[in-house]
Amino acid sequence: MLCYKAWRESRTRFAITAATLVGFCLFAVLFRNQNHANAGLVIPVLRSSVFSERVYDLVYDGTAKGMFAILTIFLGLGGLLRERRNRTAIFTLSLPVSRFQLIGTQVVVGVAELAVLALLPALLVPSLSALVHETYPVAEALHFSMLWFACSSIIFATAFLLSVVLSGEYTAPVVCYLALVLQSAIMSVTVLGRRHRLNLMWTMGEFGRMRWDAQHKFLIPDPLPRARLLILMLIALSLLALASRIENKQDF
Amino acid sequence: MLWYKAWLESRTRFLLAALAIAGFCACSVLLHRDGVQMFDRPPTYVEYIWELVYKGYLRELFLLLTILLGVGGLLRERDFGTASFTLGLPVTRLRVVSVRAGLGLAEVVALSLLPALVIPSLSPLTGQSYPWSQALQFAVLWAVAGALIFMMGFLASSLFGGEYTAPVVAFSGLLVYSVIADLPFFERHFLDVNDIMSGTGMPYFQQHGSLLVGPVPWNALGVILLLVFSLVTLAGRITQQQDF
Repeated sequence: MLCYKAWRESRTRFAITAATLVGFCLFAVLFRNQNHANAGLVIPVLRSSVFSERVYDLVYDGTAKGMFAILTIFLGLGGLLRERRNRTAIFTLSLPVSRFQLIGTQVVVGVAELAVLALLPALLVPSLSALVHETYPVAEALHFSMLWFACSSIIFATAFLLSVVLSGEYTAPVVCYLALVLQSAIMSVTVLGRRHRLNLMWTMGEFGRMRWDAQHKFLIPDPLPRARLLILMLIALSLLALASRIENKQDF
Repeated sequence: MLWYKAWLESRTRFLLAALAIAGFCACSVLLHRDGVQMFDRPPTYVEYIWELVYKGYLRELFLLLTILLGVGGLLRERDFGTASFTLGLPVTRLRVVSVRAGLGLAEVVALSLLPALVIPSLSPLTGQSYPWSQALQFAVLWAVAGALIFMMGFLASSLFGGEYTAPVVAFSGLLVYSVIADLPFFERHFLDVNDIMSGTGMPYFQQHGSLLVGPVPWNALGVILLLVFSLVTLAGRITQQQDF
């Protein structure tokens, strides 16, 4: 029942995000000849008119990635402070479950939604590519799904923590978005950040780690950075645990 | 009093946005020596500021914060249970909507002016200079384009009452708009506020040197302002018909 409650509260945001992602993937694949090689930061040596590069430009390191990161912030907003604003916190807290279960359910449902969203391009791009007589490797699409899921879990956890701590209705998403931009900007500008690729958006899009295969047909990434992804997910878990501790102590 | 109410409801978002924009501008200026390392070839200072601020990171930040400034309104008050109080005030619904829009647009203008104030004044600290005329012209472009983006969030919040639905819809709408405006056919016939804000591909902008060289496109800005005014009126009409 708690899962159903969490789903009801987040389903509209999830549906809009999914619809936007699906629409964008459709656009990127089906209208490939009309698309510009857009504002994605593909390094000049990789520029060409190959289908694989265009999909990477638009989806995996371009507009779709940025949009997914931003809308993840809204998926991550939860906690009981917003229920207090809506005057439903007392009802929710009177349910015969612990606060940990309440938060845990929201987190589980949110993470499941994130996983589904991260998988959407992996389902759509390879299958739609076949419709336009092109090929996009499923393994590569799943590679990016893993990256998106791991990186967005940090964004999700940060948004959740901020929504537990900050009471203004839109304060949490604003602060979370600013934190994301600040993180990206600092890690892009500083030497340490560039050398160790600490920019979350770079990790999500494998920026600077793509190369052509031997036939110059597909852009392929380096092997999945498992250690890095594990660390990201551990950080996300820590943030969620902290959010849970804080909410346990709050007075509604 | 309505103005004060609208200010209280939006001030946290506005102040955070102002802090972020001013901070970003300041960092861009003060970390200039590190920032130029990102480029393939060393840019001039004006080119660097344009890439980072007027075309790049800060422009995107400004757009998204502007949308968040626009959300709120009576549908959200209905969910909080305060709509009856607001509607019980001796003012028309159109006035309630207009005041909220007016204050939001004023906040957008204030945010647009921040880079124009911070960048030219801090640049001498790093031994550089950025022309005030350039900064102020960009401020005008950002204020008008930002007003349109603000109205996306504002209109979405007049239509969608669900929690966070309005900003999600507005963000998605902005994305769809940005993608469509870049398509070859629409690029020729459509006003692209992203390009108007940055000057990219515009006749009043010189790519070499990244300078605004021509007169500000008053016709295009006038059309945008007309659209903004129409959207405020539309939001007011929608609110008048709604049942709270």
